[in-house]
Order: sequence, then structure tokens, then C-alpha cells
Amino acid sequence: MDAVLIIQSLISGIMMGMVYALLSVGFSLTWGVMHVIHISHAAFGLLGAYLAYSLLEYFGMDPVVSAAVSVPLLFIVACGVYQLLIKPITKAKEVIVASMILTFGLAIILENVMVLIWKADPRVLTPTYASGALIVGPFYFQYPHLVGFGLSIVGITAIYLFLKKTYTGMAVRAAWQQPEAAQLYGVNLYRISMITFALAVSTAGAGGISLALLNSFEPHSHNLWLIYLFLVVIVGGVGNVIGTAIAGLLIGVITGLAMAFLPYQWVNLVTFGLLMIFLIFRPHGLFKQGV
Amino acid sequence: MQKYRLAATAILLAMLAAFPFLEPEVYYLSFMFSVFMYVILASSWNFIGGYAGYLSFGHAAFFGIGAFATAKAASMLELSPLLTILASIPAGALAALVALIVGYPCLKIRGPYFSVVTICFAFVVELTVKNIEFLGGAEGIYLKFMDIPEKLSRSILYEVMLLLMIVTLGVAWWLGRSRLGAGLKAIRSDEEVAETMGIPTAKIKIQAFILSAFFPGIAGGLFAYYLTYIHADVVFNINISILIVLMAMFGGGGTWLGPIIGAVILTVVNEGLSTFAQAEIARIIYGALFIVVTIFMPNGIIDFFRKKGGG
Repeated sequence: MDAVLIIQSLISGIMMGMVYALLSVGFSLTWGVMHVIHISHAAFGLLGAYLAYSLLEYFGMDPVVSAAVSVPLLFIVACGVYQLLIKPITKAKEVIVASMILTFGLAIILENVMVLIWKADPRVLTPTYASGALIVGPFYFQYPHLVGFGLSIVGITAIYLFLKKTYTGMAVRAAWQQPEAAQLYGVNLYRISMITFALAVSTAGAGGISLALLNSFEPHSHNLWLIYLFLVVIVGGVGNVIGTAIAGLLIGVITGLAMAFLPYQWVNLVTFGLLMIFLIFRPHGLFKQGV
Repeated sequence: MQKYRLAATAILLAMLAAFPFLEPEVYYLSFMFSVFMYVILASSWNFIGGYAGYLSFGHAAFFGIGAFATAKAASMLELSPLLTILASIPAGALAALVALIVGYPCLKIRGPYFSVVTICFAFVVELTVKNIEFLGGAEGIYLKFMDIPEKLSRSILYEVMLLLMIVTLGVAWWLGRSRLGAGLKAIRSDEEVAETMGIPTAKIKIQAFILSAFFPGIAGGLFAYYLTYIHADVVFNINISILIVLMAMFGGGGTWLGPIIGAVILTVVNEGLSTFAQAEIARIIYGALFIVVTIFMPNGIIDFFRKKGGG
């Protein structure tokens, strides 16, 4: 086999994987901390991608800059979504089921709003450097891919540091490990849930922009993204940030290598087949759970 | 009370069976056909998803297996219409066999992890069918339709699907009152405790899973014949899997009536909206419906009305 091809596809796999990781980390947190399976998570990511698309198209704003606009915007929107929709169902008998049904509805709404605004055609983010590439020896990296990769690393690092170093982040972890005890120590669980949810949605936005730099997207793309979210989060262990990052890389590399060496139509079959086998033997992920 | 209910059900079913004799438009026959189909899918899913609490998100796989097995048999052996309809029964058995093989390792996994492994399973089946030419491949399979007027052929399939629905609901009724059903409910509330009490949890989960795959398999076979052309994208669509779960949970999982109500309401609403509104607007209203119902009836419609009625 061709060594250059192997290394090249390994590297693109790692880039793709890091983006999956950023897109998944928030999904993992809402699931772990709040027991909410947020089906519209990927749809919010797609919304981030479309915002970046429009800002680039009409104002010439670079995707990295527009991430700085849409991430806080999505944070605020998500706070509203939490107060209006998520908080009322935290009293349900089975929060996981209720949250899945509710956010499934939200995903349908978001998808169709996006169709109404941006039409159903596939879109690509084409910043000024879109056609450029970094060439190192025999290897070849497109600039948008590098930028998306960089954005993902920054995003993952930021959320990791937030959880480990800030007071609010520690409160989030406390709420996940010992909700009752955390409450006794003065942690307001609703406030923490709102922050977790909003943070998750904003990282989804950043992840969506990163993914849009690597791939084209259309309003129903979030369905496929969602499947990858599930896979990454399960392999990485629900609520585990580092685990999610490693799982993202792993899945990225597997798909990357499969794409290089298998006929295209077999790639997904191999990916899902491997994951199914993996789940049967390690149903709770590779790593210990915990934020 | 019981007697009146039974009588009311019998009258309702007789009316449904008599409906094609009123010479309705083909559109209404098609519509009712899909209502019956979704009632079958949601009620069968309920065996494992509702009673045992194992949310399978890959049930379209069994539907699709039944569809492709029937279509393949019909086109390869050039079956007559009657035999094609009957062929959907062994096709359902094939789906049940697959459920046995897949369920054995997968049902050891609990909670959302089970849901994800079933999603993977559904994709693996879909992609296998798509990639192997003999199984249908990327082109799908054409079936020869009955050589009779359209209305008559639609009426025949309407009656067959209705019959399958009655059988499925009969089994569901029995299950709700059987030892099997009681065991499954025990698993749902606490699997460890159920095991300690001596319930053979592994065995009855497999039994429920096989049952819940069998009827969708047959329904898939009938659906294939109804469409006369099937493609992996249509019958293995993940949206069907999700819709089945939503219908059952929307009405109320683990009850007999819940999946029926959920399937009927969602099919009617979906159809009504797509007739009267622009496609995207219809979908937005449809999505809002899920949100509103979940907020006001977080445990399903049945649970909501039970609480209102009986306290």
C-alpha cells in the first residue's frame, strides 16, 4: 500500500475527527448532566453553519469571525429554549424519552425554517482562501480544512478549561456527579442546567461552522450529523469531554482510512458495522464516564 | 363494561372491513392502508419498546427485510398475487429470525446504548441490501401488480392489511394480560429486581423482540406489493424507525391503546397538513405538535387522560 496515501488519509481523518469531537462534546454534556438527549443539537450546529454562510456571503465575514458572532447568539437563543421548552419537561417520568420527542419536534422546525430561509440546495463555505492549500512534502492540506480543524481544537480546549478551572464549570461537574449534594452546597440546578444547555448549543454552532469548512451542507444534513454525534458520544462515554475528543478522532480516522481504501459505498457499512460490534462488547464506551 | 367495549370494538372493525364496499375513492383506501400499517408498526414496536423499555430505533430494518424478502421472492419465482401476499408471512418470519440473531447480543445492552446499537444495525442492514446486487442493490426491485382494476386491487390489500392489524392488536391485547407482558413490565421498572425475582429476563426480552419484528416484517411485505417498486432508501429510511418510536411514545408506551392513538393521530395530522399547507409550513406545524404534546402530556396522551379521568 501507498505510505503517502495512508498518512494523508490518517491526517484528514484526524481533522475530521476533531470536528466531530467539537460537535459532539455539548451533546455529551446535556445527556450526561441533564439526562436530556438533545436531538436538535446537530440542527443548531447546522444553523451556525448557515449563519456563517450568510455572513460570509453578504458581509464578507470570515467564518472564524462569524463564529465569534454566532456562538454568543446561539447561547442566548439556547437559554430561551431551555426556559420555554426544556425546563417544563424535567418533571416527566422519563425525561430522556420526553426530551427526545420534544427536541425531535424542534429539529423538524429548525430544519424547515432553514429550508424556507436558505433553500434546500447544498451550500459550501468559500472564504477567500478556499482554493489555497498548504503543501508539505508529498502532503496536501486545504486551508479551509486547517481552519476548521484549528477552530475545533480551540473549542474543545475552551470547554475543557471551563469545566476544570471555573467555578461554574465545577458546579456543572458537581451537578452531574452528585445532584443532591451539589444542591445542598448551594448549586442552583436549574441555572446550571440552563448554562450547560446553552453552552452545548453554542459549541454545536462552532462545530457546525468547522464541519461546514470541511464538507458541503444542506438543511437535512443534521440527520447524518446526529448519527455521528451518537456514535462519538457512546464510544467516548456519556459526559466525558476527553473521551469524546478521543472517540471523535478514532471515528474520524476509521472513516478516513475506510474512504481511502474501500469503494465509497462500503465506507459507511464498515463504519457502522465496526461500531455495532464495538457497542456489543463495550456498551459503555472506551473510557470511564464523568465530566 | 368489558362486554360493551368488546362489542364497540367489533362494530368498529366491521365498519372498517365494510368500508371498501362503499366504493370510496382510491385515495381514501390508500390513506387507511397507511393508517393500518403504522398502527401495526407502532403496536409491535411497543412489545419491546413500550413494555420492556428497550427503545429500538432500528425497527425500519425489520419492515425493510420483510419488504425486500417478499419482493425478491415474488420477482424471482414469479409468484401469483395470492402467493405474493402469502409470501409476506415467511418474509415476516425471516425478519423475526434476524431479530433473534441480532437480539441475542444486543438485548444485553441497556438504555440509550441499546437504542444506538439498533440504529447501527438498521444502517448495516440498509447498506448491505444497497451494496449487494442480488438483494436488490442500488436499483431496488420491481414487482408485477395484479391484473385487475386498481380499485379492486387496492381494496384487497386494504382488507389484508386490516386483517394483519387485527391479528397484531389481538396479540398485543393478549401480551398486555399475559405472564410475558407482566415480566416485560417488571424489566422496565427494574431489570435487576426482575431477575432476582426469578423472571428469565434474557429469554423474555428475546421473545418480545422476535414478536415485535415479525409483524412489521409482514407489513413490509404487503407494503412492497402495494408500492410495486421498492428501494432501500424508502423502506429502510431512518425516519420510519424514528416515527414508529414517536407514535408509540406519543400515545403512551407500554399500554395497548397508546400506540394505536399515537399512530392514528400522527398519520392523520401528517396527511391533513400535507394536503392543506405548503410542505415546509406543514412540517413546522408537525414539529410544533411534538413540542406542545410533550410539554403538556410528558408521559403520553393515555397517561394524561387516565389522570384526568381516574385521578
